Amino acid sequence: MHIQVGARTDLGRKRGNNEDSFKLVPELNLFILSDGMGGEAHGEIASNIAVETIAAHCSEGVKNKSVPLLAEARPELTEKTNRLVSAIHAANHEIYDSAVKHPAQRGMGATVVSIWLNETRLSVAHVGDSRCYLLRAGELLQLTQDHSLVAEQLRRGIITREQAEKSDMQSVLIRALGIEPDVQVDADEQLLMDGDILVLCSDGLSRMVSDVEIASTLLTAPEMQGAAERLVELANEYGGEDNVSVVLVKVEPTPAGFFWRLWRWLNKPLNS
Amino acid sequence: MPKLVLKFEAAVLKEVPVGAQPVTIGRAPDNDVQIDNLAVSSHHAKVYAEESRLVIEDLNSLNGTFVNNQRVQRVTLKQSDQILIGKHHLVVDMGGTVEAPAIPERKVSAPKVEETMVLDTKKRKELLAQAMGAAGAATTGQEKTQQLADGKPPRQRFASLVLVSGSTDQREYLLSGKLAVIGKSEMATIKLRGWFKPKAAAQISKRDDGYYIGPADKTPTVNGAPVSHPTKLNEGDLIEVAGVRLNFVYKD
Repeated sequence: MHIQVGARTDLGRKRGNNEDSFKLVPELNLFILSDGMGGEAHGEIASNIAVETIAAHCSEGVKNKSVPLLAEARPELTEKTNRLVSAIHAANHEIYDSAVKHPAQRGMGATVVSIWLNETRLSVAHVGDSRCYLLRAGELLQLTQDHSLVAEQLRRGIITREQAEKSDMQSVLIRALGIEPDVQVDADEQLLMDGDILVLCSDGLSRMVSDVEIASTLLTAPEMQGAAERLVELANEYGGEDNVSVVLVKVEPTPAGFFWRLWRWLNKPLNS
Repeated sequence: MPKLVLKFEAAVLKEVPVGAQPVTIGRAPDNDVQIDNLAVSSHHAKVYAEESRLVIEDLNSLNGTFVNNQRVQRVTLKQSDQILIGKHHLVVDMGGTVEAPAIPERKVSAPKVEETMVLDTKKRKELLAQAMGAAGAATTGQEKTQQLADGKPPRQRFASLVLVSGSTDQREYLLSGKLAVIGKSEMATIKLRGWFKPKAAAQISKRDDGYYIGPADKTPTVNGAPVSHPTKLNEGDLIEVAGVRLNFVYKD
């Protein structure tokens, strides 16, 4: 499959350091973004551990399918999705263990959102309030549910949308990596179609820039790197309250003409 | 402490305590009781405690405020009085004593949190439980099948697709996966046979409340009607796409 990638991370306007990390693994079609938390530079350490561990665990799993999964395989999900979930559990353990070994790091944690593309199938797995969006046919869809207290209260009907938007507690999470020895990972699978644009972003983007503006920026940008930079610029223009990171992955349309398909068919090995 | 019971016809929507602060009623979102109805003015009326009495005052609303079917500007309320605003009723419940009403806890009080904080399991349960208490009686609307904070979704039945006509790799497919793709791709669940079949003709997602069919490269029809957005499938539905017909059935 052909993809076009754009990515950018920025300090923002108010913070002293950047605790966001992202990792692009285009040879595997795997993309990971993480937003760290914790005093000193611990947020950076946590988000870095998260993206590196996930990439390593998935790589290993591809090379050697018999590497055991760290969480019970969910039968309704494919192997790749289960592997991605397992990788996130691995990251949780690594961050938690690091804090146990280095007491100064206690309380450090990270969110994570990750996608793994596989032809017509997209695996999405996440913990926390970093998001994955899908832009398709001009419409921006949020694929992940935020694991924040406010989002949970809204889902349960405890508060209204207006109250949620005005809430003082928007950065209080109910799930994150590294905080407890075990973590609940949300995972889903979606169909992938030509022309789809996937967006991974930390809350530094989603809190500053509205969904409508994210969509219009993507629809008017000629290429993904420019779009990623423009989104970060917008977040800073609107205040840059937090570190802001975005990863964009566009599924390029493959040539669909008859002769191209005929050529492919003629070139397939005889026994496949 | 006195309270107003907001009702729409027979349904109790909300109970609003009236304490030291006045309770505002109207269509605008900044009201304590927001009634989203065109017959209600944006700031329609307010109810407040005055000395030991409960008073309702109309805020120059267009359609008026009625107590026991009489239009009022400003009156004292008593037990069981029926206030009518638009089509909504508020019934007065004096709640025993009217003296010194306590300040109602309308919001979950918490300090403003600048840095990201994570709640551990115990704190999370406490905070969500506390918030539910402060919100008062259940709001109207459909009964959501809510999961517990870390509970598992309820047990699900699996459905199957049975081939009715067309050419695929199997005669029947158990939809045990979260995503089923009908198409020619290697990754497809229901693999189409034949020339020029699309990589992904249609998709079926398994969600907590059932199976939803949606378009991909083609627009499928369900019982003859085209489906342009993910649509819930029902027992017995006939799906047609890319020259293939499949019957959607639940298996026990």
